[in-house]
Amino acid sequence: MRPGALDRDQRRFSLDQLLQHGLNAIILGGTYALLGIGLTLIFGIMKVVNFTHGEVYAFGAYVMFALVMPLGVNFFVALVLAMALGILLGAAIELLLLSRLRDADIDTTMLVMIGAWIAMQNTEQLAWTGVAHSIKNPFPPEPLVWGALSVSWNRLFVFAVASLLIAGTYYLVNWTKFGKALRATFQDRDTAALMGVRIDRVNTATFALGSGLAAAAGALLGPVFVVVPTMGDLAASKAFAIVILGGLGSVVGATVGGFILAFAEELGSGYISSGYRDAMGFVLIILILLVRPTGLFALKERIS
Amino acid sequence: MTRWLPHLFVLFLASVPLWMTDNYILHILITTGIFIIAAMSLNLLLGYTGQLSLGHVAFFGIGAYASALLSLGFEAHIAPGLLVKVLPKPVWFAMLGGIASAAVCGYAIGKLAFRVRGAYFVIVSISFAEVVRLVALNWVELTQGPMALNNIPALKLGAAGLELSFLKKPMVYTLVLAVAVLSYVLIRRLVQSRAGRAMIALRENESLATSVGIDVTAYLVLATVVASAIAGAAGALYAHYVRIVDPDIFLFIYTVTMVIMVVTGGKGTLAGPIVGGVLFGLLPESLRAMAMPPEVQWIAYGVLMVLVVYFLPRGIVPAINERWGAGEATASPLRNLVVAAKARS
Amino acid sequence: MSIQFGRIIRTCAIFAPLLFSSAAGAQDAIKIGVSEPLTGAFAASGNYVAQGAKIAEDEINAAGGVLGRKIQLIIEDNKSNPTEAVSTVEKLTQKDKVPILMGAWSSTLTLAVMPKLEEYGVPMVVETSSSGKITTAGNPFIFRISPTSEMEAKAFQPLVAKLGIKKADFLFTNNDFGIGSGAEYAKMLKANGVEVGVSETMDPKATDFSAQLAKIKASGGDTLIVTTAVEQLTLILKQAKDQQLKVRVISCGGSNSPDQLIEQAGEAANGTFHTVFFPPWFPEVTKNPDVAKRYMDEWKKRGHNVGGLTEGFRGYDGIFTIVAAIKAAGKAEPEALRAALWGVQVKGIYGDIAFIKQGPAGKESGQNIPSVHLVTITDGKVSKLGL
Repeated sequence: MRPGALDRDQRRFSLDQLLQHGLNAIILGGTYALLGIGLTLIFGIMKVVNFTHGEVYAFGAYVMFALVMPLGVNFFVALVLAMALGILLGAAIELLLLSRLRDADIDTTMLVMIGAWIAMQNTEQLAWTGVAHSIKNPFPPEPLVWGALSVSWNRLFVFAVASLLIAGTYYLVNWTKFGKALRATFQDRDTAALMGVRIDRVNTATFALGSGLAAAAGALLGPVFVVVPTMGDLAASKAFAIVILGGLGSVVGATVGGFILAFAEELGSGYISSGYRDAMGFVLIILILLVRPTGLFALKERIS
Repeated sequence: MTRWLPHLFVLFLASVPLWMTDNYILHILITTGIFIIAAMSLNLLLGYTGQLSLGHVAFFGIGAYASALLSLGFEAHIAPGLLVKVLPKPVWFAMLGGIASAAVCGYAIGKLAFRVRGAYFVIVSISFAEVVRLVALNWVELTQGPMALNNIPALKLGAAGLELSFLKKPMVYTLVLAVAVLSYVLIRRLVQSRAGRAMIALRENESLATSVGIDVTAYLVLATVVASAIAGAAGALYAHYVRIVDPDIFLFIYTVTMVIMVVTGGKGTLAGPIVGGVLFGLLPESLRAMAMPPEVQWIAYGVLMVLVVYFLPRGIVPAINERWGAGEATASPLRNLVVAAKARS
Repeated sequence: MSIQFGRIIRTCAIFAPLLFSSAAGAQDAIKIGVSEPLTGAFAASGNYVAQGAKIAEDEINAAGGVLGRKIQLIIEDNKSNPTEAVSTVEKLTQKDKVPILMGAWSSTLTLAVMPKLEEYGVPMVVETSSSGKITTAGNPFIFRISPTSEMEAKAFQPLVAKLGIKKADFLFTNNDFGIGSGAEYAKMLKANGVEVGVSETMDPKATDFSAQLAKIKASGGDTLIVTTAVEQLTLILKQAKDQQLKVRVISCGGSNSPDQLIEQAGEAANGTFHTVFFPPWFPEVTKNPDVAKRYMDEWKKRGHNVGGLTEGFRGYDGIFTIVAAIKAAGKAEPEALRAALWGVQVKGIYGDIAFIKQGPAGKESGQNIPSVHLVTITDGKVSKLGL
């Protein structure tokens, strides 16, 4: 082979590789954003560092597994049910554990959430064992191919649903009465209360909504990956990174943060080192802190 | 009488290796002691400055890794083309190196992380520990990555002929106890000094503290440096006792263990981390002794954490103090503020 | 919800005999310490090994035990964490005073506990770990029944020409298991004139490999050698298919459970090759088919996951090896057991288990030479591939 031909060949290969990385990042970013939004709302409104977020995500995946595999429930019906149960679980956690700690300081609530996280994760292992489970999906097994690029139908579906949920949350927060109460609570809790906003209800609703989104993410990604008890840990650490990137309480910030993280991971592991893939998010956080400590889309100054 | 109680307690602890022959109990006491040292250092940040650092295990791990690496010697590329070669150093020197490395990292992180507060600070501190863990995992040339640093030498002191080896458990126990007492004294002196009062003042009301001229960030960084140095010492002890260090030493669960020790015992009290440490250091062993499946042990651990926070939100030591009105007299926040402001002028 | 409760009941049922056996006859039973990852990243495999070990325990006790005494396994959870693994050995040797151990599943976990074996002078039978370092480090308390990565790579050698491998890429976990296996296979392939492309690593807990796979696709080899446990392997096969990575995938290390792959990766598992150390689909090809059948029957009778058969046998063989040593030594004392292990001959599922010397002279470790089997998956069925 002539040297010129080799060069051209390699260039085409690397362009294909770049495009494939980009496509992977966009698909991945959608689910990251979904994970981040739920957490950022809880964070922003309730000032609670929610360590159960990852476990609610795993819960969504396990509900999906239990409904689809042994019970044979329709895939799409199961998806809706998983999200609904996630909302209920979130409301239960809030009412049971957090509502009584409303005036407690941040480390008290956080310890409670850490305790709940440990207990939940191990309950999952007790109930379903540590063996990985997979969920069958109704999509064609052959991927969608476009030139040298390809993506599975399942991931495309995940991306579409995630985008819908993100748009829905954005609408809910910015254009509804509930959203107004939410934003008012975020800006000034005491004044909002004086103006007639039921803070306790806003809290429960926020936690339920955030948990519903996490459960939806788990139910969507369960069929893409496999379902294991420790799956929530990785998801939670990504969600934390996204919240910092985007800024506290910002839906837009979490969305953009999710995509930035996905691109950093894909390109970083593709061109720097695959071992540091999961470090990218944290490295980004440190860079952001150096350059712009308020986060990319902070709604409120975070230096007290 | 109460004045002598702590001294008697230390004497009792010092006598343990003389009559305790069960190696396994000594093992539990040693690991618990090491974690108590780490918890005491965390208390300085969590209890006295009010900053919830959830990355504290990073300093523990840095101390362990730095000390282990110095004692084993290493060869690594710090930057492309820049090869650093270190020959094995004596263990006592390596341990001091571990403490210094942790302190330096504490300084850098303090400068960086205290740009933010509250929930942000919490996540930033977790991120820091996670980055360090991933570096330890992936910088295989230096740290051996997940293969762990094995065969770390135990501490030996003295010259040939009159050598003191810290390989056997009674000796390690005594060493851990000595470091613990030293750390306790150091922390007590610090929090009772003017710097300590300034820290407490800014915990109570940061804006007020700033308005009377306290350089908040400087005191926070000072607290972080001292806390990370002590955590680094605990890590170094750990490395040369267990004689293996792997990236899992940076796991979040270890930070959680330290935090729960501090909070259960009572944050912002000198005795708190010790009381909490004894309780939560021995708990996993008692759960294990009940022959429960491992998942159930963990569930019990998690539920217990929640219950402790519900029923003893301020910790055991303050609860005892309230009931019997004894113990440490904590100066009023206002007084702290005044003293600290005087220190400035 | 009913599934959940079913699982709980089953879990309780698994542990009930443990509680019972520790209550009855604990006085005169011979204790055997087992350290396995029962929770954490390797929980699935660790539990399989523990289940296999318990089958052996019950079988031996039903036949009257050894030296007229029953045996009692004390199984500790090392939480998939090297430091915890050290803790379990402290507990087993110092508190329970076991004269012999089995463990600790992954190479990293085993390497972590090795200095403790020397410190306390207690031998350990290694049932799963594959890193060469374990038997070459000069630890005379190590007796390994599982094959090393080097043995596995050597067994694979005849297939290089048969499959027509020209250029191979690698994807492995960044631990002793993955890195050790990658190095041995790369060495063997190079010696056979195969070009080695990219070597990508992954965290043992990672779930998304799209970036690594895109890079491997760009490298353009005809074969991808993967070393990891079955959970990640499932994901890799699925994601490779999504990314149209049309290469021959070969998985090594023996923790690849083809049954689980067929069930969970579906079509993506077709056309893949796997090295296994026990093929439960055709037990007749093993050296001791009667032993294999007995183990398989009991495994199925207990309702354990069939996908775990390729993992559980390690625990089964490990316990039988230890009991053979106890019988030969005539007493359950560490030093006597260590000496006796050198002479054992066990008809096991790994093959005929016996130990040869490996490592520096005077401080040799024991190493068994087990059989290695290569299987392939076609149309959702496992078939044997001639070596």
